[in-house]
Amino acid sequence: MGVMRIGHVNLRVLDMDAALGHYMNVMGMKETHRDAAGNVYLKCWDEWDKYSLMLTASDRAGMNHIAYKVEKDADLDVFKKRIEDYGTAVEIVPAGTLFACGRALKFNLPSGHEFYLYAEKEFVGKDVGVTNPAPWPTDKKGIAAHWLDHALLMCELNPEKGINKVQESTDFMMKVFDFHLAEQVVVGPNQDIKAATWLFRTSTPHDLAFVGGPVMGLHHIAFFLDEWNDVLKAADIMAMNNVKVDVTPQRHGITRGYTIYFFDPSGNRNETFAGLGYLAQPDMPTVTWTEDQLWRGIFYHTGEEAGAFTSVYT
Amino acid sequence: MKDEPMSRAENIRFEVKILDTGEKFSCSASDHLLRAMLALGRKGIPSGCHGGGCGVCKVKVTRGTFTSLVMSRAHVSEEEERDGIVLACRVMPTSDLEVEVVGKLKKAITRPKAFGLV
Ligand code: FES
Ligand SMILES: [Fe+2]
Repeated sequence: MGVMRIGHVNLRVLDMDAALGHYMNVMGMKETHRDAAGNVYLKCWDEWDKYSLMLTASDRAGMNHIAYKVEKDADLDVFKKRIEDYGTAVEIVPAGTLFACGRALKFNLPSGHEFYLYAEKEFVGKDVGVTNPAPWPTDKKGIAAHWLDHALLMCELNPEKGINKVQESTDFMMKVFDFHLAEQVVVGPNQDIKAATWLFRTSTPHDLAFVGGPVMGLHHIAFFLDEWNDVLKAADIMAMNNVKVDVTPQRHGITRGYTIYFFDPSGNRNETFAGLGYLAQPDMPTVTWTEDQLWRGIFYHTGEEAGAFTSVYT
Repeated sequence: MKDEPMSRAENIRFEVKILDTGEKFSCSASDHLLRAMLALGRKGIPSGCHGGGCGVCKVKVTRGTFTSLVMSRAHVSEEEERDGIVLACRVMPTSDLEVEVVGKLKKAITRPKAFGLV
């Protein structure tokens, strides 16, 4: 019973060919389907479900929806009741509404982000198979990320007006879906305003993160790499392909991950994230970062804002 | 970068002047204003995603001609585009240009952060 992991993200792109060049040749994903409306579905080599990224051509960048996978179909009934009991509107959409998925719950987070939960998605299999598999596929392209790892959503935060969608969305994920709070940033005169949170359901420190900003949006989607050397090579590949890098390889204090921030050709931020961080468990004590050490938490080496972390997102 | 010889048209460089700061830099007809500015170590236009998606590099072209790539309608409306308001990361010059910064970062700079992130 319960939410297992991030399932997929539906991104809007300004130029589909440029987007496919990036996600296929640079990130190393493969196209698994293209529908009549022109949406393109992609997966990473180490993923087994049909897709983790759905690209939709649009006149603006950003995210249309995000979806997480639950363990069993019956979980959807339990969660539907819990969402309703929490006072949030929810509908069950029939199988096929999300391409290649079973029935799904559709609702909005308190932050406004459109969210789906589903239990079934068409199985494709890893590129290396399951019988005596090689550790990686020989036809891998570019960075060859393993899987879509997590997403960071920007939520409206305006303490002067009493608006804190980080707090509200965090409460919602924890109370309704049993997410656990790995780390948080607290700000304000009494250090009691949650300005950012990192939440998990898997055994890694985050499957979903919320950060406060002037308006809601998508901060980034992150793809998993094994280790530090892969992060360095990924940055080399980005430079060779003229990818706009936002923040060069370094460590996050929060989650301890090894990271690069960069942008897809429509300006949606991506991350390559490597390392376990640490073993996350439901009984783990929450780590807190204070306002004066906030940037140490985000970019550990400099302890300062790098790139355009707070000002640029889609 | 591939080392193919650049075509003659790509080789032509134009001068771009940022009216807010008086900063000038040269930009080739095949490069966008933001990358040319940063590659030459200049400042003035806020830099973000370089993909026409985030809107921070919004400028008004007050003089000159250019070609442009698709840019997010969330940040530049059709009327604005008709008035020469564009995203600097989507604009390649076809003559010398003068631009004025109108990006949202300009506002962010004038409003100090009071709560760490906002
Ligand atoms: S830098 Fe993001 S739109 Fe130009
Ligand atoms: Fe991340």
